[in-house]
Amino acid sequence: MNNYRIMVIDDEKIVGDMAKMSLEQEGYAVETFLNAEPALARLKQEKFDVVITDYKMKGIDGMEVLRTVKKLYPQTKVIMITAFANLDAAIEALRGDVHDFFPKPVKIKELKESIKRALAA
Amino acid sequence: MNAVKKHAPAFFAHGAGLLKSAAAWVLRRPLLQRFFRAQRDFALVFRRFREVLDSNNRALEIITDIGEKLGGEYLFDRVYVRSAYADLFTHIANSIQSFDVLTGNRYPTLHDVFTRIDGRIRSMIEETPSPADLVLPFEDITPERSRDVGGKNVHLAEMKSVLKLAVPDGFAVSAAAYDIFIKYNGLEEAIARLVKDGEIVESERSALEYRIVTGEVPPELDAAIGAAVVRMRDRHRECSLAVRSSAEEEDGDYSFAGQFETVLNVACTKDDVVTAYKKVVASLFSPKALAYQQRMGYTPGALAMAVGCVLMVDAVASGVAYTSDPEGGDRLLINANWGLGVSVVEGRTDADLYTVTKDPEPAVVDIRRGAKELMVQTAPAGGVREVKTAVDLRERVCLTDEQIRELSRQAVVIERYYRKPQDIEWALGRDNRIYVLQARPLRMVTGEEAISSPQAIPDDGKYPVLLENRGVIVQKGVGVGRVFILRRLEDLETIPKGAVLVAKHDSPHFVRVMPSLSAIITDTGAPTSHMASLSREFRVPTIVNAENATEVLKQGQEVTVSVEDEGKVRVFGGRIKGLVDSVRQNFSRLEDLYEYRKKRYVLRYISLLNLVDPLLDDFSLEKCRTMHDILRFMHEKAVSELVESTRSSGAFKNRKTVKLDLPIPTGILVIDIGGGLDMHDGNDTARFEQVSSVPLRAVLTGMMHQGVWHSEAIALKAGDFLTSMMRMSDIVSDGESFVGYNIAVASKDYMNMSLRFGYHFNMLDCYCSENRRNNHIYFRFVGGATDITKRSRRIRFIAEVLKEYGFNLRSKGDLIIARLAQIGREEMIEILDQIGRLIAYTRQLDAVLHDDGAVERYVKNFLSGSYDLSM
Repeated sequence: MNNYRIMVIDDEKIVGDMAKMSLEQEGYAVETFLNAEPALARLKQEKFDVVITDYKMKGIDGMEVLRTVKKLYPQTKVIMITAFANLDAAIEALRGDVHDFFPKPVKIKELKESIKRALAA
Repeated sequence: MNAVKKHAPAFFAHGAGLLKSAAAWVLRRPLLQRFFRAQRDFALVFRRFREVLDSNNRALEIITDIGEKLGGEYLFDRVYVRSAYADLFTHIANSIQSFDVLTGNRYPTLHDVFTRIDGRIRSMIEETPSPADLVLPFEDITPERSRDVGGKNVHLAEMKSVLKLAVPDGFAVSAAAYDIFIKYNGLEEAIARLVKDGEIVESERSALEYRIVTGEVPPELDAAIGAAVVRMRDRHRECSLAVRSSAEEEDGDYSFAGQFETVLNVACTKDDVVTAYKKVVASLFSPKALAYQQRMGYTPGALAMAVGCVLMVDAVASGVAYTSDPEGGDRLLINANWGLGVSVVEGRTDADLYTVTKDPEPAVVDIRRGAKELMVQTAPAGGVREVKTAVDLRERVCLTDEQIRELSRQAVVIERYYRKPQDIEWALGRDNRIYVLQARPLRMVTGEEAISSPQAIPDDGKYPVLLENRGVIVQKGVGVGRVFILRRLEDLETIPKGAVLVAKHDSPHFVRVMPSLSAIITDTGAPTSHMASLSREFRVPTIVNAENATEVLKQGQEVTVSVEDEGKVRVFGGRIKGLVDSVRQNFSRLEDLYEYRKKRYVLRYISLLNLVDPLLDDFSLEKCRTMHDILRFMHEKAVSELVESTRSSGAFKNRKTVKLDLPIPTGILVIDIGGGLDMHDGNDTARFEQVSSVPLRAVLTGMMHQGVWHSEAIALKAGDFLTSMMRMSDIVSDGESFVGYNIAVASKDYMNMSLRFGYHFNMLDCYCSENRRNNHIYFRFVGGATDITKRSRRIRFIAEVLKEYGFNLRSKGDLIIARLAQIGREEMIEILDQIGRLIAYTRQLDAVLHDDGAVERYVKNFLSGSYDLSM
């Protein structure tokens, strides 16, 4: 068990479930949310080291999550995942200081490596 | 006049309609269809055939991809599944369209089968079950529905329909029904709140239980249960039901024996069944059931509860039969008491115990009469009651010797079918028949410790490495067991449970034993084969193309197969305890995620294969239950159609075959489908000058290039020759149908050429027109007579050469597929010339590729225009 905290926001339960299971194996503390509002409320209470968020969600979307996270905790790394391998989305996200960007399906191994890099930075 | 004008369009429309129906009528007449098929030009047939194969291959690639993405190594979501499936659907639909034309609509029900499977897959992806998925009569339950209806229901349905045993009639209320019941009553959150810090919160639990029992079933479910109840009453008049749990994994690896509620003697009315249904569903959350689920590693709420509603058997006597002695010993143990079986299952009384040996025929070796003080009967007002057994009954054993033998025979049949010792509930009806009420795997006392120690592969020589980093990974994992080398297909029947199957070739036939295998290793094979997708589905650690595993590994030898990752494939001699199967651990953790399991379940309708052997009667549309089945069915039937049409009268009617008279002995027959040959003399041979097909001419030019065609035979080593003998059947029967070797179908701009030289095949397909957007080259090379190492070297040679010309390629073992598209005609002619040279030059090249370095040297020479073989 390490002390790193990871938040996963995705409106499909399976993404959060699988991410949580895989990342807890690495010793991270993982919290999952199905939409951004409660996730951001939670972020206001507590700092997370990495936030993994879906790009396209109903209500508050991934870009807004990114902006809010960066405003609250500039050091927190944001990893964006999206159902669409959308170049515009990737460019927009990268301009917005995102740590990494993955189209779904995301290889869990690569996600884990990305998290390691994020935490090492 | 005006009136005529006014009516004319209507008349013509009507007339057109008539023509259409006449055409439809004609198409429906088998004899006429045959006539029309017989008149078709082979070139057309061939084109349709290729369309079917192309679409099928693409579809299989998508199936492989979906299997991989849902295999646990990726985060995926519904959007992915939806779009990947849409892609798959399109390719299969295209294939069916071509297939219909190819076969002249010989298989009209294919559309119904496709639509049915598609509907099921879509409702599964969108999680909107159709009413037909909520309640299923036993006769509609097939094995792949085990998640839908739970293990218990599936077993009952199988024993009834496959084993033809006496199983009471019934219907299942599915897991999908459970899902909508939970959703309808807003219980998901209550379920999520059940556990806090690893402990069950009792107040939440009892509240949830109460909300289930008092909950309302959604209207569509209510209606479906109502209809099923009416059907039961129609069939059986005076009847009552047993309403039993059939949780999705119940009676699978874990028995969940006695964990959930069974409500007996329920009146066959909708209201009574619904009440009993809710009771059974609630029992998923009883304290003992939750404790059991936690102990087994399930997250509470991770299981869905399907329910079985089974006709009550008016039982004279009932009990339990074990097909093996759990303490060891291959004999049957049977318990029996008067009345209903609850008294035995719950151990309420001292039952009779019969011991029966199995071989060759069941023989009763011991009868111990129990005291049988109590028995359970149905109560007239519903439910059951326990009564004291009449004294005269107590003193009699419940079954006669003949009844014990009959029960034993049935029990052995069940055990054989499931390949595991079974725990069977039975009842003797007033009609003197033995009924089977339930069958599940019997937990045996094995004494084997669980493997849980940390990852450590010993390197002390105790476990010699027999194979290392060979072959292509199909499924990762660890498998421990005895080697079973499969020489003939019929030996499949004798494979012991837990064996490591080692075979020359992969085969979809393995599906019959796959769930009981520890690992699979084949000498040849492809990761996109039928078998491969099954290995992934059943998660059997599998390596294909391991070259000579059948020689290195010995029959009966104990081995540990460890397939970790690329570069980490090893087979050790001996049984290594403590070798952690991280892959399987990860899977079982994933399997614990209800969401994951639910999403992955769609693969059961996509990638499983039920159609295995085309020579068997059940290779039929009726047996198609998955998309994979449909693809396989079409492939086989398309091949037959093609073969048939080469023999039919009209195939080459206007397109005779013309033998090419070339300076080199290629034995090529050309079928001109328009502008391929410049023939005016009616001869049946053509000289090179008469070849007017642009692509064919280019390839032939290359083949005849000075020095590339070596006529002298290159000696094969004895071993190479033997390999070639064994490989023949394999290559010819792989379904790719190298129909008519050395045939070129050609038009002015197009050509398809299949060439067989010795033991390898070249297939070249190209379109070479003025419009570069239409142009493509598809080249495929497979096989060879030498050992796989040399054949693979030849493939590497070809790959290196083709890369020079910008081909996009894939290769596996001795197969290479290369594509190039959208190039201008002039450039293409040059490339085809080079391919012609390549085809000629590689005929015997493998025999001289004695080491890896040789590949490089020959590539260099070839590219510089030197074609000497004797370096």
